Amino acid sequence: MKRALLKSIALITVMAIGACGDKAEIPAEINLPDKNPYPSTYQIPESPAFVLIGANILTGDGAELTNTDLLIENGKIVDIGTALEIKPDTIKVDAKGKWVTPGLIDVHSHMGVYPAPSTSNHSDGNEMTSPVTAEVWAEHSVWPGDPQFEKALAGGVTTVQILPGSGNLIGGRGVTLKNIPARTVQGMKFPGAPYSLKMACGENPKRVYGSRNTLPSTRMGNMAGYRKAWIQATEYKRSWDDYVSDAQAGEDVDQPSRNLRLETLAGVLEGDIRIHNHCYKADEMAQMIDMSKEFGYEIAAFHHAVEAYKVAPMLAKEGICGVMWADWWGFKQEAFDMVRENIALVDYAQACAVIHSDDPIQGQRLNQEIAKAMSAGNRMGLNIDAAKAITWGTINAAKSLGLDNQIGSLAAGKNADIVLWTKHPLSIYSLAQKVWIDGNLRFDRFDKSVQPTSDFNLGIISAEGARP
Amino acid sequence: MKNISLFIILLYAFTSASASSILIKGADIYSATGLLPKSNLYIKDGEITAIGRNTPMSADLEVNGNGMSITAGLFNASTHIGTVEVSAISPTVDFYSENESVTAALRIADAFNPRSTLIPHNRVHGLTHALLVPVSGTNLFSGQVGLVQLGNQPKVIHDSLAMALDFTESGIRLAGNSRAAALVQLRQALDDAKDFSRNRAAAMAGDHRDYVLSYADLAALESVVNGDKPLLVKTHRASDITTILALAKEFQLQLILSGAIEGWMVADEIAKAGIPVIMDPIHNLPNSYESLGARLDNAKLLADAGVTLLFTGMGGSDTHNAYLVKQSAGNAVANGLPKSVAIAAMTSNPAKLFGAKVSGDIAVGAIADLVLWGGDPLELTSEAQLVLINGEVIPMESRSFQLRDRYFKRLKKD
Repeated sequence: MKRALLKSIALITVMAIGACGDKAEIPAEINLPDKNPYPSTYQIPESPAFVLIGANILTGDGAELTNTDLLIENGKIVDIGTALEIKPDTIKVDAKGKWVTPGLIDVHSHMGVYPAPSTSNHSDGNEMTSPVTAEVWAEHSVWPGDPQFEKALAGGVTTVQILPGSGNLIGGRGVTLKNIPARTVQGMKFPGAPYSLKMACGENPKRVYGSRNTLPSTRMGNMAGYRKAWIQATEYKRSWDDYVSDAQAGEDVDQPSRNLRLETLAGVLEGDIRIHNHCYKADEMAQMIDMSKEFGYEIAAFHHAVEAYKVAPMLAKEGICGVMWADWWGFKQEAFDMVRENIALVDYAQACAVIHSDDPIQGQRLNQEIAKAMSAGNRMGLNIDAAKAITWGTINAAKSLGLDNQIGSLAAGKNADIVLWTKHPLSIYSLAQKVWIDGNLRFDRFDKSVQPTSDFNLGIISAEGARP
Repeated sequence: MKNISLFIILLYAFTSASASSILIKGADIYSATGLLPKSNLYIKDGEITAIGRNTPMSADLEVNGNGMSITAGLFNASTHIGTVEVSAISPTVDFYSENESVTAALRIADAFNPRSTLIPHNRVHGLTHALLVPVSGTNLFSGQVGLVQLGNQPKVIHDSLAMALDFTESGIRLAGNSRAAALVQLRQALDDAKDFSRNRAAAMAGDHRDYVLSYADLAALESVVNGDKPLLVKTHRASDITTILALAKEFQLQLILSGAIEGWMVADEIAKAGIPVIMDPIHNLPNSYESLGARLDNAKLLADAGVTLLFTGMGGSDTHNAYLVKQSAGNAVANGLPKSVAIAAMTSNPAKLFGAKVSGDIAVGAIADLVLWGGDPLELTSEAQLVLINGEVIPMESRSFQLRDRYFKRLKKD
């Protein structure tokens, strides 16, 4: 048997469980590729216990609580309610009359891969050299010093999914980051967050490759391109499954050769990697769903989904999130049928409705984007309140990332990702005043020592790099 | 933040309104001279004839404006509305020239399509007027700036209010990719335009020296070099702004600045020169090396220095969602700009600067170009409930509303 690099027994065992689920445990001498070769180095800094007193809370999962206390210890929410039992050394933060929400989650961001300044040397989000580049990982392009991150933080965004662009049919892996200042992307990676894979329907891939006279130049070419990739991935997965089962049976078998592209696609087929699919049009979403059934994988979310309102019951039935803007339209034909009520209507159909930015300006004010989407729904009489609307940037967003057991709502046991707002969070005049991630104060509008600034900013506007 | 039930009623009430008199009762009125809280507004045959206590107490159409507000119609001072339908479909895009011999002569208003789907979509959300500013395709000069009104019969009010010039990095790239080279071309063009103006007949007869620009472009520049028409220069970097201010002084040009992301750094210079600035107050990212100084209180700092502001936005929404200038304005207020200044920057300031039958104000005697908002005018949850343009009530209809209604019907059945 060919021996690949030996890893620690413990690691291999963990990976084997991840890979095979209910299969018998894989003997230690079988080497499988490391599923987490670039692990998160993020550690929750120690911080004292604190309690927010008397806040108006939008819980992030649909409720509004007035004059409520929120207790945080060791980075977690311990209790929420009134008359909480509080230890004497717990720091009290007066939040009387202030509004509190969970940290906002932007599930479609290109911060770090398309940073500011947006110069060609930093343009690292679209590997447009082949229509299927499942082998590339967005995290390998992320510049942690991108000054956009701190601005999103100042807008109350605590978790971001960084995706590759949509020039390719299959663009590569996305990564979920905690929005904290770090020198390495590993320092920002959300520990244990599932990987995602970016796919793209429609105009972009067929334009990019059609203009080079290669497949795909049409929507049918798009479909052929994805299917070809999934057929290869299915075969690749089988070769590794066979290897494992033969080895387990005691046969002397050679390990298959690794193929980075197919390894990621096989990860999707195994259910480890979540599909985040750029797809505007209703008809194309239906094709993508059929294809997922043809090859046996699930789609976590359709992004942009400008026509989601046309097929909202289908999204509800399939359990797929619609990840949408409040109002973007008309920049392409596939974005022509926009309705401002899109998010509200997807929610009305009881599908998972999510706001996203895909934009560094709107990514600083997801609360405003939510306000617009809510207002559009209310204009047509859907009676959506703020407690409901905020879920589009909190628990629903967390669901699309597979992290709703950790973030997205203010409830006991959840990570203490919290925003204290200067006014009602859906007001245009509201600003994030304090932002905590895992119970650590990461931004304070009124304390310069808690306003992170990128190395890039130093000495540009002011000596200390302040950029209101 | 909830004016919902009332709102639905209003929506339908106004859809087919053809009232000759309208009374709005008890709304907060944001006029250019100040806020009139809980006041009445009376419109007769499209004209505002009374405000405050002395309005007639009945009208063909009466609206309870309690908790609502009235502003002049929104005026976005940098758009391409009506000159693009789908941005990625180039035959629908008319706001720039790819022909090197058509630069200053291009009049974007010539391409204005009053039947564009963008117009109803924007006016139902309160946008009543827009400046059409062409974009540079081959040369520093982008073309001539137009002004359109988006009423029931959308129309061009003025087809050449100013000459647009792009002195940002993208314009400079078209002019030798060096600021210094761009300046040489700019000076040469201005000198040539002066020379052409003095020797027009001879030049047209072929009895004069050669020019780089076409005769049509030079003719278009005549009024600029003669100081009759403003040069509207888009530029961001503080040092570039200073350069353009000096150039305008040297050539005795009327100047309007646009962009000015680093304007706050030279706010006093701009104020001293009395130059108005068209800007989007939303920018705070160092997106390029010409905008390293971007910050959210740019508008506030410029206004504090005494600069007249005209707003556009938000964040490049200068076509399909040009009405979102209101969101940019709201963010400027959240970052320190007085609310009255923000509202003026998207109503009365552009109206005053570009004149031409737009009052941009809520005043007795003015033609009604106004919006009744469901609450505070800048809140995103305050929907436009009633929009009047040129004295006429705008039907709350758009392609987007039709799509919504079609699919909501299906959703209710499912």
